Amino acid sequence: MATIVEAVNLKKTYMLGKVPVEALRGVNLKVESGDFLAILGPSGSGKSTLLNLIGALDKPTEGQMLIENIDISTLSDNQLADVRRRIGFVFQFFNLIPRFTAKENVELSMSIADMSKDERRKQAQNLLEVVGLKERMNHKPAELSGGEQQRVAIARALANNPKFLLMDEPTGNIDSKAANDIMGLVKKLDEEKGVTIIMVTHDQRLASQARRTVQMFDGLIVNEKVNHK
Amino acid sequence: MKASDILSYSFSAIKLRKLRAGLTTLGVVIGIAAIVALLSITQGLQETITLQLQRGFATNTLIVSAGGGVVFGGGDAAGSGFKLFVNDTQTINKLENVELSVAIIQRTGSIQFAAGARNVTIVGVDFDSYASIYPTTFVAEKGGVIPDNPTNEMVVVGKRVSDPWKNGTVLCNVNDTAEIAWLNAAARPPKPENYTGSVAAVLQEIGGFSISGPSDYNVYIPLSKAQSFFGTDQCNMIIVRLTNDDKTTIDNASKAIKAVFGDQVSVMSATAVLNTLSSVFSVIELFLSGIAAISLLVAGIGIMNIMIVSLMERTREIGILKALGMKSHTVLLIFLGESVIIGLLGAIIGVASGWGLANVVAIALGGGGRLRNQAPQTGSFGTMAINPVLTPTVTLLALVFGIGVSVIFAIYPAWRASKLKPVEALRYE
Repeated sequence: MATIVEAVNLKKTYMLGKVPVEALRGVNLKVESGDFLAILGPSGSGKSTLLNLIGALDKPTEGQMLIENIDISTLSDNQLADVRRRIGFVFQFFNLIPRFTAKENVELSMSIADMSKDERRKQAQNLLEVVGLKERMNHKPAELSGGEQQRVAIARALANNPKFLLMDEPTGNIDSKAANDIMGLVKKLDEEKGVTIIMVTHDQRLASQARRTVQMFDGLIVNEKVNHK
Repeated sequence: MKASDILSYSFSAIKLRKLRAGLTTLGVVIGIAAIVALLSITQGLQETITLQLQRGFATNTLIVSAGGGVVFGGGDAAGSGFKLFVNDTQTINKLENVELSVAIIQRTGSIQFAAGARNVTIVGVDFDSYASIYPTTFVAEKGGVIPDNPTNEMVVVGKRVSDPWKNGTVLCNVNDTAEIAWLNAAARPPKPENYTGSVAAVLQEIGGFSISGPSDYNVYIPLSKAQSFFGTDQCNMIIVRLTNDDKTTIDNASKAIKAVFGDQVSVMSATAVLNTLSSVFSVIELFLSGIAAISLLVAGIGIMNIMIVSLMERTREIGILKALGMKSHTVLLIFLGESVIIGLLGAIIGVASGWGLANVVAIALGGGGRLRNQAPQTGSFGTMAINPVLTPTVTLLALVFGIGVSVIFAIYPAWRASKLKPVEALRYE
């Protein structure tokens, strides 16, 4: 299996005013193609910082963050943008563009990646069908429930055939029934489509649904286990 | 991201804030409309005046008057005491490049017909020579002929003397008798002078005004009659026709005439007056455009202000776009695209409403305006109708200016948007 994401002695220090805060203090992590990894940890453990680095949204202070064997700290802003096009982001607060319909939101990430109009339309329809929103694709986010919005976000994340899905508390802001549905969808993507998934959560139960869990605490990975099904 | 996608994204952002975008656009509209209106009115005015001048003002003529160039008033020998006389034409006629010259004696007076009286300028001039200098304007209208060798009683009147109100109420016709009078204020006691003449011809309508050439408001009498009637051989001005209207011909002839009268005369050329006028108009245009440009500047600041507010509101959106892989320069282009749309829209509406405004003003001033169906009339705004002129250059410049100002003032907010860090932008509430 090819290694898609690899962190080597990853450190990240923020300046909080004049006080340096070590958010990551030497994280080592490897994610291979087809993996379903949950990063578990309480708030302040550094999991969001790690997520930002895996998502090429930020650069490390020290150590290496390799995405498809490329060290992102050596890349320019434009090159980082190119890397992000191959990553499917799913956020806790959905982060859809409110003035666009579900379909337009999915198409947006493809238009950023220069896909042709016809292709975009087809792909968006397919993906919305996969996430079960075929009937609601012309609705704007405000007309959709939280669960539905998160499905749109997942369809958008899949639009450019990403190397992996990067999910930040994907069920953190929706009711438990919808959360179960979303997790069902995520597991389906993992099992049936072979999508590589990295999910950040503070929810033990959610993490246990992944194939593998790493536990973070105080800027370090303190535990790593394979979940048995 | 493709250019069409960038533009449609910009457009969707504008559509979301219709009122705000509308008000911002209005700023550009007002600025551009002001510039277009002012420029097209001044250009129209310039065109009208130039045309009127050229009509009554052959370009190959010089006007010689005594002293310091009192031409508009009629040329009394000012200051120096130097006087120009009727027979000075003989001296001038001998000079190089001069074809012919004609002396003019004029006084303010009145003319009385059976149907009514008018205050007029009475011009004594040799009809034959005058007609050959102004072949297009010193022309009788149908039914009359300007006599080559007039008798002393013959009078030629301008169109507005015979038909002062342009409504067909005519004061005189050919062959009517007319009582011509002026007050000799130099005599002690001042002495009214008058004689009875007969209308030989009415001039065709000339339109506009003239400096030395025929006018609709004048009465023309033979020079010899003027000399005896006004009791003087001193003339107000001498009009000289040159062989051509080249600049060198005009300059050389002017110098020669001045030299022969020992620099005691002023020589004005029609071409020089036109040039002076057009340079005056250039200054006026520049000045007015400057004022209008200030309003455009204000519009630009409005655009910048709105863009900065919009940038703050959309920080999170920019974070999302960047997380989806949008490059910084694309974010920049999206914001600039919004300003281009606002600028273009504002400029187009601005040019149209400026043009409309110019025509409304022209109509309000009377007679002018190209929006009316009928042919533009003369005889308003004093004696002129303004027809606003909108050249393709002005249109193009207005469009470029509108878009340019919008884009320039959007550069800073757009740059700031493009420089947002995705992590921080996503965290922004």
